[in-house]
This record gives sequence, structure tokens and C-alpha cells, in this order.
Amino acid sequence: MTGVVRAHGRGTVKLIFAATFLVTAFLILTPLASLLYGSFRSAGPGEPSVFTWRNWTDLGSAAIANTLVTTCFISAVTAVLSTAGGAALAWLIYRTDFRFKRSTVAAVGLSFFFPGFILAMAWVILGSPGGIFNDVLEELFGIEGFKFDVYSISGIIWIQILHIIPFAFFTLRGPLIAMDSSLEEAAYASGASPWQVVRRVTVPLMLFPMLSSLLLCFVLSVEQFAIPAMVGIPGHVNTLATELYLLTNFSPPNTGLAAAVGLSMSAVTGLTIFAQRRVVAKRGAPTVSGKGYRVRPLALGKWRWAAQAVALFYILMSFIIPTLALIYTSAIKFFVANPMEASYTWRNYLQIWNSPGTMRAFWNTIVVAGGGALLGLILGTLIAYSTHRLKPRGHRALDVLACLPFGIPGIVIGLGFLWSYVYLPIYGTLWVLVFCYMARFLPYATETIGAQIVQFDKVLEEAAWASGANRVASFRRIVLPLLRPALQSGYFLLFIAYFREIAAAALIYTASTQVLSISIWAFFENANWGVASALSIVTTIITVALMAAVARASLRV
Amino acid sequence: MSIIVRDLVKRYGDKTIIDGISFEIAQGELVSLLGPSGCGKTTTLRCIAGLETPEAGFIAIDDMVVFDSQAGIAVEPYHRDIGMVFQSYAIWPHLTVFENVAFPLRIRRRPNTEVETRVTKALAMVGLSAFRDRSSQQLSGGQQQRVAVARAIVHAPAVLLFDEPLSNLDAKLRDQTRAEIRKLQRELNVATVYVTHDQAEALSLSDRILVMRDGVIRQQGTPEAVYGTPLDAFVADVVGPANFLPVTVVGAASGGVEATLAGGEHVLAAFGPTTPGPANAMIRPDRLVLGAVPGANQLHGRIRQRLYLGGHFEYLVAVGSASLRVLSSAMAAEGDSVTLSFTAADCIILATDTQETSSWA
Ligand SMILES: Nc1ncnc2c1ncn2[C@@H]1O[C@H](COP(=O)(O)OP(=O)(O)O)[C@@H](O)[C@H]1O
Ligand SMILES: [Mg+2]
Repeated sequence: MTGVVRAHGRGTVKLIFAATFLVTAFLILTPLASLLYGSFRSAGPGEPSVFTWRNWTDLGSAAIANTLVTTCFISAVTAVLSTAGGAALAWLIYRTDFRFKRSTVAAVGLSFFFPGFILAMAWVILGSPGGIFNDVLEELFGIEGFKFDVYSISGIIWIQILHIIPFAFFTLRGPLIAMDSSLEEAAYASGASPWQVVRRVTVPLMLFPMLSSLLLCFVLSVEQFAIPAMVGIPGHVNTLATELYLLTNFSPPNTGLAAAVGLSMSAVTGLTIFAQRRVVAKRGAPTVSGKGYRVRPLALGKWRWAAQAVALFYILMSFIIPTLALIYTSAIKFFVANPMEASYTWRNYLQIWNSPGTMRAFWNTIVVAGGGALLGLILGTLIAYSTHRLKPRGHRALDVLACLPFGIPGIVIGLGFLWSYVYLPIYGTLWVLVFCYMARFLPYATETIGAQIVQFDKVLEEAAWASGANRVASFRRIVLPLLRPALQSGYFLLFIAYFREIAAAALIYTASTQVLSISIWAFFENANWGVASALSIVTTIITVALMAAVARASLRV
Repeated sequence: MSIIVRDLVKRYGDKTIIDGISFEIAQGELVSLLGPSGCGKTTTLRCIAGLETPEAGFIAIDDMVVFDSQAGIAVEPYHRDIGMVFQSYAIWPHLTVFENVAFPLRIRRRPNTEVETRVTKALAMVGLSAFRDRSSQQLSGGQQQRVAVARAIVHAPAVLLFDEPLSNLDAKLRDQTRAEIRKLQRELNVATVYVTHDQAEALSLSDRILVMRDGVIRQQGTPEAVYGTPLDAFVADVVGPANFLPVTVVGAASGGVEATLAGGEHVLAAFGPTTPGPANAMIRPDRLVLGAVPGANQLHGRIRQRLYLGGHFEYLVAVGSASLRVLSSAMAAEGDSVTLSFTAADCIILATDTQETSSWA
């Protein structure tokens, strides 16, 4: 650049960028710096402590190493099976004569938004040693000797697969739909049979998206806290996430070691995300033709019924049966396997209404999700606009900062904010939750908005400037209206994410800042399955209703 | 002067895109920037609009200095008194036709009654009165182009900037719209920069043409001047179809310059350098006559190819090692031996050092 000064308007833009940068740096670097500090302290936050290497050397202990191996095993199996399941489902729906495509996608969408901790709870009710399945086996069929037990490694993997398949499905269907259909048509025209087309064209072309999905599923699984906490801790199976929680919450607490564990965990997930980004940068972006999908659907023949059955089984297991189990548990006085013999009651629902603590949790959740998501959305929009359009000096650094939370597990961010309590006066207020969630879910906002920003040509803004609108006016009158769909879906995504988050909250909530997810978990831990189920049902209804409302609103645009 | 551009330099990285160009445009004048794709026309236009910041130079619009590298002045685009039509039209999809056109007035906070009358008038000028309440997404390419023009003129800017406004239209619509733009510009009497790579557009629309190549202006002048007396083969080629014939200049002769072909034939050209040595003779395809014309230059060749263009033919005629394009309504068959005639006035000698541009072959 020359020494030319822009005469007007740049000042405001610079100021906004500087503010955006500072807020982002604060949100992202606070937990990381706090963790780094904490990992070298001999005692927990707020206590007198000295510098020590012990936390890092303790990482080599047999217990932690064991946990690391378990976590990697669980995550690898989960990632492979979830990606395979998601890919198969996407292929069935977008490439074959599979029936009920729309309803299947809708059902998978519901599973996608079904919170992991509620799913885990339902599966405890269903598949724990004293759960519904075993009772049904014994009481109704008289089968002894075989018992379901979700309190196990295979239990964790099973629930995680149910939970993560929709993610794999939604990340893979994009590339599959966008794939230039003429590539497959050319293979047909060259004389390839449908199966040969799948083997020689579709799968090879989908290899990079599938690899990308595999890595992301691995990260999701490593990060997963609620599922291993609910079914792993009772079964004495620990993952890094639950280990970190136990180290922090049970005496004697070892928050310093937890910090070291958290940073190591972030190293694993961060490196995986880095690898995933390289994969995407290399070949991940699909060859978009814009023509949409027109390949003749492959006739499955007699396999179709098998495919339908497997898909239905998945939907039953991931959403319908868990929901039914929760509804049943929430409405009965005491547990019996046969619904005909049960006596029903509203008391669990009434107890929610009559418990001031729970009502407070409701209110807190609404404030954090409603208001916090708005703040998160504003910040995400400013970041996405800066990194995609304004590109001032420092925009790359901002981009890197905003991507970091992708690689940091929620519970680790929570722990980071716990450690930051030493020097931040926000502990015990809802702000700590809001900051924590804003940091954790920042990429949701920046990715959603960024994707829309690159969709519309910069010349639309230039035309506004040439028409006399300054940067602020053109942002308000041209950019924001064009971003409206992305802003709506971004807000919705953030709201849902904030609404149901449990991992980040597990370490930093206090009695006055309790949120719904924590309340449900607390009832559950106290063996109050009835109220926990009732609260879960209410939460699910709110989530689904919001989803429907937003879907309706964005359809009207 | 409505637009003054002096010593403009624009670089991307270490690549110099605009290499010190200067020109002035008077009120009411329409000046085309003509040149092949990538020569820097759009960049020049965007510098005038303020959408790019040049590395050096001086730009004034309507007596206001909007850019001066030495004085450190760079006025934002939205403080320049311009109207611009983008190549892609840049119609805002979320606004109606009316609101798209009204935008420059709304930004300037004009009262509603004034917005109403001026938008109505602008829409009438581009023939879109019936479309005022349409969503801008329900418009054809030609209608979008008109909305873009209406939006550019609605606030009566001091200068109008067009970036290849017709390149996304089909051929028929292009000819019609070209005439309308000329009429509109005359009525508004506003200084206009018109970027195009289409020689027919430039020739028919312009008061003056600036022929650009690799970020510099090679020649400027009236359409007649640049077409009739191009300074070099590049300009000749850009402003219209041209044949280039390698010749050796013998020297000045009565009525022009005398040169010889490789085969020994003599050629008399009306203009050109008289220094003896190798050069090119340039003749327009429509100025070559099939058949012998007494008193004119004559060449002998063989027809290699004939294309019917409706009403006339395009012949490709091999003359020695060169091959010439001839537009003629006379009938001849492929393989025929023919004589080509052209008068000295239709032939120009151009120095060879600029000959690396395409010739018809
Ligand atoms: N943003 C940019 N970065 C780098 N090079 C550019 C950029 N914009 C244009 N160029 C280059 O500048 C040259 C001139 O571009 P342009 O002015 O658009 O040409 P024209 O409009 O005459 O076709 C081209 O070689 C183009 O590749
Ligand atoms: Mg251009």
C-alpha cells in the first residue's frame, strides 16, 4: 500500500474490527491461557499454590494412559461406524429407489437435534441392568441369563453411534447432492452397471468427504461428555472427558491435573481438526454443478425391504423408543415393565412446576440461550464479515482464533473458564455461561454466516457504495437483508446449542446459575428418573417446537 | 473537465495493471475504453469509481479531487458523484425494481415525493414503467440491465461509468440497447466512460475512443480517426477486422507510400512511414474487391475457404504466404484463382515492430 489515507469512513470500520478482534481474543484465549496457567499450579483455582511440573508428569500415569487408550478406541470405533452409517443412509436416500425419503430425512433431523444427554438417559432407562429391556426379557418372555448392559464400553459406543450418525449423514449428503451428476451419467453411458458406478465413481468421488466426516466424527466422540458420563461412570469406564470431570468434582479435586488432561485432549482434537481442514482444502469441496441430482435412482430390488427395515430400526432406536421410554417413565408412579399394569400420574410434571430451583433453571436457560445466542450471532457475523469481506490487517489471525473452538472440547472450555475465576469477576453469574458458550459455539456462527457471505457477489455491495451508501449504510441496507436466511438459521443453531449444552456447563454452574440440562442430570443422578424424564420431555418439546417455528419462518422468506 | 485522470498507476502485487495513463473527458462527452480482455479497462473504471485504490496518480471528478497520491487524498466511492452500471448489473435481489432504482435517492435522504417523481422518470427513460413493483428476481437479463441503468442515472450524477453493460445480452438486444444508451446519454448530457471490448459498440457509441493495451493507452481519437488511421497493427486490429500483408517499403511516391510484396508486386498506400524496410500493409476485409479494378492495387491469390454470411460471403484468400479475409457479395468458388483489388486510400502502411498481434490466418 502507498501512504494514501482514505478520506472518510475507514475509522468506524477499523474501530469495529478492533473491537471484534479483542472480544474474540478474550473469549478464546481466556480459557486456553487459564488452562495453561492452571496446568502448572500445585493447587486449584483460588487456592494458594506454587509452580509445579507434577501435573504434566502425572499424565504418564497408568490410569491416565489407560483412559487415553479407551477414549481413542471408543472414538475410532464410533467414527468408523457413524460415518459408514451416515454414508449408507445418504446413499440410500439420494441414489436409490428407497421409499419414504422425506420422512426419513425429517426423522434423522429430529435425531440430530435430540440432545445427547437425554438420549443417554433414555438408554439408561432402557438398557441398564435394571432397565426396561431386561425387565421385558425377564417378566414378559421369561428369559434369564442374558442381560443388556449399557454401562459398558459397547454401551457408550452404541449410544454415541446413534447420536452421531445424523451428523455424518448431514455432512455427507451435501457433497453427494452437489456432486456433478454427469460424472455418474457418463459412467452409465460407458456401459457400467449401477453397482459398478457406485464402486468406481460414487465412492471414489466421495472418498475425501467421507474422510473429512470420519475425522469430525472422531472429534465429536472424543469431545462427548454426557454419554460417557451417564453410562460410563456407573460402569467404571472413563474417557478423557469424564476423567477431567471426576478430577475436578470429586475429592480430592486435582484441578491442575485436569487442566493438563484438558490441554492434551485439545491437542488430540485440535490436530484431528487440523488434519480434517487439510483434507477439505485438498479435495473435500465437491464439484458443484448446480444442476442438482438427476441420476436415475438405483433399483434396490429385494434388498429394498432390508434397507427400509434397517433405516426404520435406526429411527426407532435413536429417537422414537427413547422418547417413548421417557414419556412412560415420566408418567408412572413406580416402575413396571408392562404399561398395562402401571398406574399413571402427573406428579412429575407438577413437581417441575412447583420446584423454584427448576423454574429458575428454566429462566436461566432462556436468558442464556435467548440472549447469549444473540450475542454469539452478532460476534459471529462481525467475524465472518471481517474475514470474508473487509480483510483488514489481522483478519487471518482472527480467522484462526475463531476456528480454534472447533478443536477444543466443551468440557475443556468449561474448565478453562473455571480456572479463569482467579482473575475474572464473572464467576457465579450467568455471564460465565454466556462467555463459555459463545466461545464454544463461535464456529457455528462464523461458518453459517461465512457460507452465506461468500454466496453473494461483492459487487452488490460495491453497487451500493457507487450509489452513495457508506460502509455502515450498505452493511445495514444490503448485506444484512441478504444475510437474513443465514442469520435466522445461525441464531436457531446457536439457540439450540446453548439450550442443551451440558459439557461446558457441568464444571462452572453454581446453585444460582443452574440450567435445564444440569437440572435434568441432577434429578437423574439422584435416581429421580420420573422428574428427570418429565423435564427431558418438556425440553425436547420446546426444542422441537422452536425448530418447527424457525423452519416455518425461514420458509416464508 | 468532468473527469481528469493523470498518470494513473495500479498494481496487484508486483504486476502493474495500469501503467501511467492520462485522459480527460468533457461534460456530455462519451469516451470508450476499448481493448482486449485483461488490458485493464475495468480496473481503470474502478479506480475512477473509487472501488480500487491506485498506487499513484490523480483523479478529479467534476472539479473535485477524488484521488491524489501525492496529496494523500482518496475519497471513498460513496462520496464521489458517480453513477455506475456493473457488468453483472448487481441488482439487489431483496429489493423491488422501484427500491433498487430509488436506492441512491434514499441514501441521500431525498423526500418521498422527490423519490417518487425521479424514480418514475428514470424507469420511464429505460422503458420499465410497468415493472416498478416487480421483484427484481423476476427480471430478464435485458430488464436487469435497464434497472441498473436507471439506478445509475436516477440521482443525476456528474459522471456515468459503464462496464461492458451489453456483454451479457444477446446480439439483437445488444444492438437495440446500444442505440438507447446513446440517446439517453445525449439527453442527460453527462460525461460518460464506457468500457467495452466490442469494437462495434465503441465505434458506434463514442465521441472518442481510447484504445488500451496492457495498461497503457495506445491511441486515442474519434472513432473515424482510430478506425481510418490506426497508429499500429494492434490498434488496427482492435478497432475492426484487419488484414496484414508483409511488405517492403520502397519510399515515398506520388499519392502515398510505395511498397513491394514478397512476390514482387507493387503496392501503393495512402499513409504510412516512408523509411525503406520491412513493414505491414493493412487493408480492411470489406475494402478488398474480388476482381480486377483498373488503377487500383492488385493482388493474385487462390480462394481457400468460403463462408456464407447471409447476403454476402467471407472468403479466405491465400496470397503468397499470407492469407487475407475478404468480405464480398461476389460469387466465387473454393479453389478459384482470383484477383484482389484495393485502392491506395484503403491501404495503410504500419511499422512491423508492433506486429506481434494476431493476423488473420
Ligand atoms: N483483484 C485482482 N488481483 C490480481 N489481479 C487482478 C485483479 N483484478 C484484475 N486483475 C488483473 O488485472 C488485469 C486487468 O484486469 P481488468 O481491468 O479486469 O481487465 P479488462 O476489464 O480490461 O478485461 C488482468 O490481467 C487481471 O487478471
Ligand atoms: Mg473487464
